[in-house]
Amino acid sequence: MGVVLRNLQNVVPLRRARLRKDVETLRHILGIQKFDLGVICVDNRKIQRINNIYRKKNMPTDVLSFPFYEELRPGKLPCPIYRDELNLGDIFLGVEYLMKQCQQQSQDLHGILTSVTAHGICHLLGYRHETEEEWKEMLQKESYILNEFNRFTGRQLVPLTKKCSQDG
Amino acid sequence: MLKSLSRTVSTAVRISTATMFSARSLQPLTRSTLCSPNSGTIRPFSRSLWMMSHNGAASVYRPKLFSSKGFTPVSCGCGSLHTEGDKAFGNFLSDEIKEEKKIQKSSTLPKMSGGWELQQNGTEAKLIRTISGEKVTVTFNVNNSIPPKFEEGAEQARGQKSAENEPDIVSSPNFVVEVTKQAAKHSLVFDCHYPEDEAIHGEGEEESDIFAIREVSFQPEGDVEWKETAYTLNTDSLDWALYDHLMDFLADRGVDNTFADELVELSTAMEHHEYIKFLEDLSGFVKCN
Repeated sequence: MGVVLRNLQNVVPLRRARLRKDVETLRHILGIQKFDLGVICVDNRKIQRINNIYRKKNMPTDVLSFPFYEELRPGKLPCPIYRDELNLGDIFLGVEYLMKQCQQQSQDLHGILTSVTAHGICHLLGYRHETEEEWKEMLQKESYILNEFNRFTGRQLVPLTKKCSQDG
Repeated sequence: MLKSLSRTVSTAVRISTATMFSARSLQPLTRSTLCSPNSGTIRPFSRSLWMMSHNGAASVYRPKLFSSKGFTPVSCGCGSLHTEGDKAFGNFLSDEIKEEKKIQKSSTLPKMSGGWELQQNGTEAKLIRTISGEKVTVTFNVNNSIPPKFEEGAEQARGQKSAENEPDIVSSPNFVVEVTKQAAKHSLVFDCHYPEDEAIHGEGEEESDIFAIREVSFQPEGDVEWKETAYTLNTDSLDWALYDHLMDFLADRGVDNTFADELVELSTAMEHHEYIKFLEDLSGFVKCN
């Protein structure tokens, strides 16, 4: 089982292999290697359209997550019976939106993409940040993931949740 | 593989041409069959055609089969056959050419960004670029480059002749990228295409990459025959990480999503241009010169 990576945009130059490698590291940390995961990179136009259709918010955003399992308890991995249910869902990365954020904050794009993907995976695993309690729980999980990631890779990624900028 | 694709296209053309020639040569072949009963040539179709059109001793061939269908030769002295049908066809083509030129976006081809040099040879085009000593050549052919769904939509639209309903015809050709390093005997060749669901759905919920690599192989450098014995990596069952590295490799050499989108624009314009030229040639062929 693997990561289905798609780049549907031509606004931001992306290193596919690098993004895939980082996502694989995240999967390893979370122990979700047996689950399929979709990561789709889109521009502002596409993510705005998806945001409008599914959240009634007609504006671009950084990430949108579409869980395969919609009622997961946070942190509890699903135990599917059938092979084709070994799927966590899809994460749409608004790379154009994120690129602008990086330029404003002088950050590395691929680092941000990895942090945002970690945030998106947490959503696929049932984490939310609609209440204070949920937000704390999700921030804790994200911090753990990225601390482990930084330990493996020597990078210094920080959680997205502290900005509370997206919902899935 | 564009080289084998172009071979396939050439073969198809040769077959269709051969069919045309054999249809034209039906008349003398039919006569010779009847004139020499011992020839042993078995051509049941042409024989029955002869029986339908002939009314007695074989002397002069008259195409009576077509006599009830408005076949009225026009005498103009140019030595070619001209029928009322040809005249109607010619008029139709004149109108069609006018309409196509009206909707033609530009008489010149769109430019590719990134410093690509365009070389055109009929329906085949090459985009060439040199980057730090490496030569990158992208070859494509506008023949058979319109996805079937667009062709169906276009047929309906052309039948209706309604400007609002007419879908934009898009040419998304297969293309071959050859990367040649300096003084190398082999080129790394990528056979690429536009995934069909992307082309069909257009502005819908696309989930395929804009373009995809189908096969990769090393081929002898230059315009030589495709080496069938060279190992060809098929991406259908390829490790996804390796595939991403190959896509990044192409992107570094200017073959990325921007390039793929611009190639569609270029190919669409070229295809339309060639279509109009074909209609004009057809019109000249059909009409009296």
